[in-house]
Amino acid sequence: MPVAAETFAAGVPVEIGQIQLELKKLWDASNEVMARASLINLAIYSEQPDSLGKNTAIISQLTEDHACRAIVIAADPNAKESGVDAWISAHCHVSRAGNKQVCSEQLSFSLRGKQCGLLPNIVFAQLDSDLPLYLWWQEEFRAPLDPQLWAWVDRLIYDSQTWRNFDEQMNLVETAQEEARQRIVLCDLNWGRLVQVRIALAQFFDHPVTHRHLTQIEGVEIAHAPGFRSTALLFVGWLAGQLGWEHGEDKDGSLGFRFQDEEEHTRTIEVKLREKEGEPISDCKVITESAEFRIEHRTGADLLDVFFGRTEGRKMRQVLPAGKNDPVELVQEELMRGGPHRVYLRAVSKVRDLL
Amino acid sequence: MSDEHRPNPLREGLSTKAVPQPCAIVIFGATGDLTHRKLVPALYNIAADGELPPAVAVIGFARRPKTDEEFRAEMEEATRNFSRQTVRDEIWDGFAKSLFYHQSEFGDEAGYKTLADRLEKLDQESGTRGNRLFYFAASPDKFETIINNLRLAGLNKAHEGAWARVILEKPFGTDLASARHLNRIVQASFTEDQTYRIDHFLGKETAQNILVLRFANAIFEPLWNTRYIDHVQITAAETLGVENRAGYYETAGALRDMVQNHLLQLLCLVGMEAPTDLSANSIRDEKVKVVRSLRRFQEDEVGNCVVRAQYIAGAIAGKPVAAYREEQGVNPKSQTETYVALRLLVDNWRWADVPIYVRVGKRLPKSGTEISVHFKKAPQVLFNRESQVIEQNVLVIRIQPDEGISLRMQAKVPGTSFRIEGVKMDFHYGTSFGKASPEAYERLLLDAMAGDATLFARRDEVEQAWAFIDTIEEAWAAKEDEPKLCTYPAGSWGPEEADELLARDGRSWRRL
Repeated sequence: MPVAAETFAAGVPVEIGQIQLELKKLWDASNEVMARASLINLAIYSEQPDSLGKNTAIISQLTEDHACRAIVIAADPNAKESGVDAWISAHCHVSRAGNKQVCSEQLSFSLRGKQCGLLPNIVFAQLDSDLPLYLWWQEEFRAPLDPQLWAWVDRLIYDSQTWRNFDEQMNLVETAQEEARQRIVLCDLNWGRLVQVRIALAQFFDHPVTHRHLTQIEGVEIAHAPGFRSTALLFVGWLAGQLGWEHGEDKDGSLGFRFQDEEEHTRTIEVKLREKEGEPISDCKVITESAEFRIEHRTGADLLDVFFGRTEGRKMRQVLPAGKNDPVELVQEELMRGGPHRVYLRAVSKVRDLL
Repeated sequence: MSDEHRPNPLREGLSTKAVPQPCAIVIFGATGDLTHRKLVPALYNIAADGELPPAVAVIGFARRPKTDEEFRAEMEEATRNFSRQTVRDEIWDGFAKSLFYHQSEFGDEAGYKTLADRLEKLDQESGTRGNRLFYFAASPDKFETIINNLRLAGLNKAHEGAWARVILEKPFGTDLASARHLNRIVQASFTEDQTYRIDHFLGKETAQNILVLRFANAIFEPLWNTRYIDHVQITAAETLGVENRAGYYETAGALRDMVQNHLLQLLCLVGMEAPTDLSANSIRDEKVKVVRSLRRFQEDEVGNCVVRAQYIAGAIAGKPVAAYREEQGVNPKSQTETYVALRLLVDNWRWADVPIYVRVGKRLPKSGTEISVHFKKAPQVLFNRESQVIEQNVLVIRIQPDEGISLRMQAKVPGTSFRIEGVKMDFHYGTSFGKASPEAYERLLLDAMAGDATLFARRDEVEQAWAFIDTIEEAWAAKEDEPKLCTYPAGSWGPEEADELLARDGRSWRRL
């Protein structure tokens, strides 16, 4: 194989019109035992100046577990001179069976000035046919969105944690989804940050004996890292969406939620969010009338400490896998789990006015 | 809806299954190989993946004196050696606290009474809530004693709101009579719903994928019948000999050891109709129909349809290996088969006149288990003229190793002449999905804890399989030298007679 992407170089420069031919040459030149594999088209779009190298490194890690055709796009819409450059490369990893290399292709593009408008054209021309297109949009969305592009996207990956105006951005995403006739699945990496914490909390209530606690929740306390308030709010939105809470009156810095129990009594839940250095969600406590469920994530730890028990009594401790606040892990989680993310949309709808 | 049946709303959209209820797992035969190599490492991996219930106790039951601490140390060493994931101290430390050892002879009634007391105590201390899972990893001749003593100690019945289940390792009987006897013994103490007969082949990802391949892909099911399928081959090849299992193997042989359970289970998955839903009983209802439809051999047919053989000295991977009869613990005049090949027919609408060839053998050149579905050839026109030999389309489902699926089809060789060659489309799990699958025992233990019996054999499946196998064993026993015990050199693909079994039908075994 002439091109080793392990160096994170963009690869061999090619003419755009010759990409397929050059890719074929790339594979023909290989004498080693290797298999070209692809399950999805994964396109990454970024406008950061150093994104090509950074995203090549990300693709190299992602392809260890998720064979794909990667299309990495670095755009500079404000460049004075227009232009476009392309490169091809491959990421090869020894397969689990250990006897052959599994390789994924990467096509890299640098678009400058007016050529940035060529984005849909470039993406569509380079897709591996019949495979779904996952588009990871690393920028904020800008109106107007190009309907041509969204029509072909199967999953749109973004990170709402970096959004300055959640509502405005979400409106744009929803417009894209509408233009794609609801075909696009929205994959928010900020939601992905919550997966392990959600699993840890959900498992408390798998046993029928603990179900009743869900209708007895009186308070939720969440410690989140600076800049991750939106992550904590999505978590609250998840609880509200799944447990039928409505946002009510906020007081003394706490958020107020309410719901009607089976006897049609209105119950209130006090939600306290506080900032604390560390993991995006470093502490989460759910307090019911008689019990307490707590999840702690120490800084840098890859395990969660999980405690539960009677409010004043002995607590049982467990350790469970923790997520990592790292883009590769978050995207891997998304690629692994899939699903339509209806629960996410429900969570967003519950806290949209707070985000 | 009562709380017991209400789904956990926080589970919606999460890809992990609900954590099973807290429980105590009692392993009979805790000092044995299975516990060391498979069960405890599997439980550790479940814990590391965060899928073990928060309150769980694993109690090793065996006769050798040992403290809890000694047992934990042994299990730690075994887990470090055999776990698919690296053992992490912080996870092991928590997991180890849930390991306990209970010393007793299997036949000592008092040992079960003290076990019952200990389990009650663990319910209080560890929160296992009276749920019990009894895993029989002991030798099958101990099953009856263990079950009777569990009943006498009242351990077969759970407290109200709790459950008691039993997992039985193979072999489940040695023939229909012994399987029925064992079933009667088991069901005198545990109901069928409480009984989980394990066949680890069913816990393998590729075995589970057979149903997905067949029923989630619209292109295969219309072709999956006698109109389009010429024949099916199921092969389970091993390079290993009997290793340290000579005592058991001498009384079992390849037919009882592999065909009655693993291979007939695979055959059922390939041959069954679509179940009405994915519940355990719907799937098992369809599987058992396949075994029931297997054409029974008349005594005089067995010689024509079944080949039995034993390996003689040969070589594996260039190294000389001894004949079966020279292996330690094997009778020098042993008549036990280490290889068996069968030509089976399933008498139902779908499979009428489609032979299913099954072979299993030890000391074959390569290890591998696979199912190959050979489709009928294209009509003898156009490309299929005399000058051109066109192969069949073959769909291969590789169960182990290198799990995956391949499809052989015909393609034109580039050039001016019209030459056609077979080409292969290949899907490898390892290539397409980088993440390793859980071990079969992990999946099966979790399912048993969760009360999902889909991947376990039901009583009627086991008995029907034995009823079929018995017709062969009885024919073999009826005439001492018929069919004869053939031989094959270790490292070869079996005896010539097995090749002739297919050659008579104008077919040949697929080369693995």
